Amino acid sequence: MSNPSLELRSLAKSFPQRELLRGIDLVLKAGGSYVLTGDNGCGKTTLLRIVAGLETANGGMLRFEGTAIDLDDYPEALRHKLVYVHQQPYLFQTSIAHNIAYGLRMRGVPKGRRELLVGEAIAWAGVGHLGNVLPHKLSGGEKQRVALARAKVLNPRLLLLDEPTANLDNDARRQTLALIETLRHEDVTVMIATHDREIIAMPHVQCLHLEAGRVDAL
Amino acid sequence: MELLEPTREAFRLLFTGDAGLWRIIMTSLVCSVTALVLIAPPSVALGFLITKVVFPGRRALVVLVQALLSFPTVVIGLVIYMLLSRQGPLGFLKLLFTPEAIIVGYMVIAFPVLVVFTLSAVQGADPRVYETARSLGANRWRAALTTLFEVRFGVMAAVVNGFGRVVSEVGCAIMVGGNIEGLTRNIPTAIALETSKGEFAQGIALGFVLIVLALGVNVALSVLQGEGGMK
Repeated sequence: MSNPSLELRSLAKSFPQRELLRGIDLVLKAGGSYVLTGDNGCGKTTLLRIVAGLETANGGMLRFEGTAIDLDDYPEALRHKLVYVHQQPYLFQTSIAHNIAYGLRMRGVPKGRRELLVGEAIAWAGVGHLGNVLPHKLSGGEKQRVALARAKVLNPRLLLLDEPTANLDNDARRQTLALIETLRHEDVTVMIATHDREIIAMPHVQCLHLEAGRVDAL
Repeated sequence: MELLEPTREAFRLLFTGDAGLWRIIMTSLVCSVTALVLIAPPSVALGFLITKVVFPGRRALVVLVQALLSFPTVVIGLVIYMLLSRQGPLGFLKLLFTPEAIIVGYMVIAFPVLVVFTLSAVQGADPRVYETARSLGANRWRAALTTLFEVRFGVMAAVVNGFGRVVSEVGCAIMVGGNIEGLTRNIPTAIALETSKGEFAQGIALGFVLIVLALGVNVALSVLQGEGGMK
């Protein structure tokens, strides 16, 4: 846990009539767990989306595992190393197993290996009992767990979770927290945008606070 | 007007396998399906691109395609006739009054239906679909296919509507096909001809087939949608 996984320098993002990120400087160590806190609308989601290549920045530098990334021409290869999970994850309208296998298919993982990994991920997320239930019939917590399994199965170098416990009832929140807790044992850098005090209080996480367009370590 | 006897005769023609009648039905089906198979992929792709890619003139293109929806098919037939006629720029292809000419006409007629319906389906798609696919490692092409798969019922509706539009179309088919018996005579052109001659039996039989086709494709769409089409 020493080499930088992600390094941001002077990252800026403006929208018409609003300067949201004003020069973010940030270093995430490989294998570390980080939470990103801040008021609603302060730019937490935008920051994660820029790192994930889902949004462009207006300026600044991003370095991933030592390699400088062109934010205007986000490399496809980087999409195979990091995964972003929406606050309310979207599950494709197909089976849970197909959802979890999606990223593996995109990476050309052979069918046999894919089935093995999907089975492990389903067991990890505790969604095996759901069988072939279609996503639109799943609860918010079940969707979140499937989305986490879908991300984890890819064995990403960096996992970006956007408010993973928001809008969940107590049981679902607890189950999601338990999954997040297990990620500390994986060889993955995790960055979680959240307001959840229980995640913030986890002993192994480092807290970063986004305010007035800048990030401070707490 | 006596209705019972022509109707009885219509069903006799249908169920005794009258060769002339079934040739007309097959001409309709072959032309319609071929046109859709050829025009659906580029139309669906264009509908997707218009929604997802920002380019100069995008708005104008949408307005143009929407305007094409309301173009009278007989005018489309006229334009294609002029293009394919012996003196026209494409006259050397010798396509006028052939099933291929009807297929070209049907492609032009179905094109805006497919584009507009696809555009509407993709616009209605959850923006997280494409982002989720990209975030999970899909390249742009695979993410686009995933999005189209997620709105597959809308795309199927586009194809069904395109089929409905061309299979019942008469103006363009008469102009560029010429309504030649055994070659380009199809269901709507045959109904128009037989009715003008006072021969109602074949018209009723063909009208019945058209209604069954329209019902059939919509029932098929509904079955394909199954539970997935309902939220």
